[in-house]
Amino acid sequence: MKKVLYAIVILLVIIQFIPANLPEVSLNNPNDLIVNNIDIPEDVKLILRTSCYDCHSNETHYPWYSYVAPVSFLVSRDTKVGREELNFSNWNKYSKSDMAGILDGISEEVSEGEMPMKIFTLIHQDASLSEQEKEIIVDWADIFVESLFE
Amino acid sequence: MKNLFLVLAISALTFSALSFTEGKDITAPQKSNSDTSFEMPDDVQAIVDNSCYGCHNSESKNTKGKMKLKFDKMPKMSKGKLIGKLSKISKSVTKGKMPPEKAVNKHPEMALSKDDVTTLTTWANDFSKKLSGE
Repeated sequence: MKKVLYAIVILLVIIQFIPANLPEVSLNNPNDLIVNNIDIPEDVKLILRTSCYDCHSNETHYPWYSYVAPVSFLVSRDTKVGREELNFSNWNKYSKSDMAGILDGISEEVSEGEMPMKIFTLIHQDASLSEQEKEIIVDWADIFVESLFE
Repeated sequence: MKNLFLVLAISALTFSALSFTEGKDITAPQKSNSDTSFEMPDDVQAIVDNSCYGCHNSESKNTKGKMKLKFDKMPKMSKGKLIGKLSKISKSVTKGKMPPEKAVNKHPEMALSKDDVTTLTTWANDFSKKLSGE
């Protein structure tokens, strides 16, 4: 049993030397959704920032343990994939039809409870969405998508 | 110290396991607001019937497929929603994400040829542009 523990400890120490390459953080994003759409309701902004922006923007807040392997690998991968799928910091670079696809996706995945991811809300409990908050986001996305083509 | 590492190791394993789980329970509210005329040429319709409609319709038993897109509901969709769906059809087909590999392995006749992909994406992109007035 001791040997197994030693092996785990050694393994944990070794993997600390593998770079996790956490995606870079930038707070200055001129193409950001919220920066360019000041009329988005405050409650929507707050939910987006609390529950989505960590993975879906350049403004990721990395807690201390996200620098510790193997958690760092997981955070790195999820943030990378999250930004690839949707990056609110690059909002104005999307075409209108891309925006429409994204907003439809937000509406779907939030109402289905697929987003935010369970692994994320497990640790960031403030990011978890109540039924009322889900409704706020879904309603906003459904109205915003139509406003793009008016 | 040993305990700390053990706790770390166990929590790391739990994280990894959890990242593979997924949950879906609630049904998406569907808003319909008809202000667009829906058009699907016969050649596109044939491809959709052959490769997409099986999962993407209101009666589908494939919960995820049904949630993401219901072709039979498209004619009644509002403009923004419809453009969003068209954009996603075009992307997922171009990237080869749809139809899913699993489905194609089971039903090889569902596979899209290069021409099918072009036909579908051209329709989706052109229709989207027409709707958005671009």
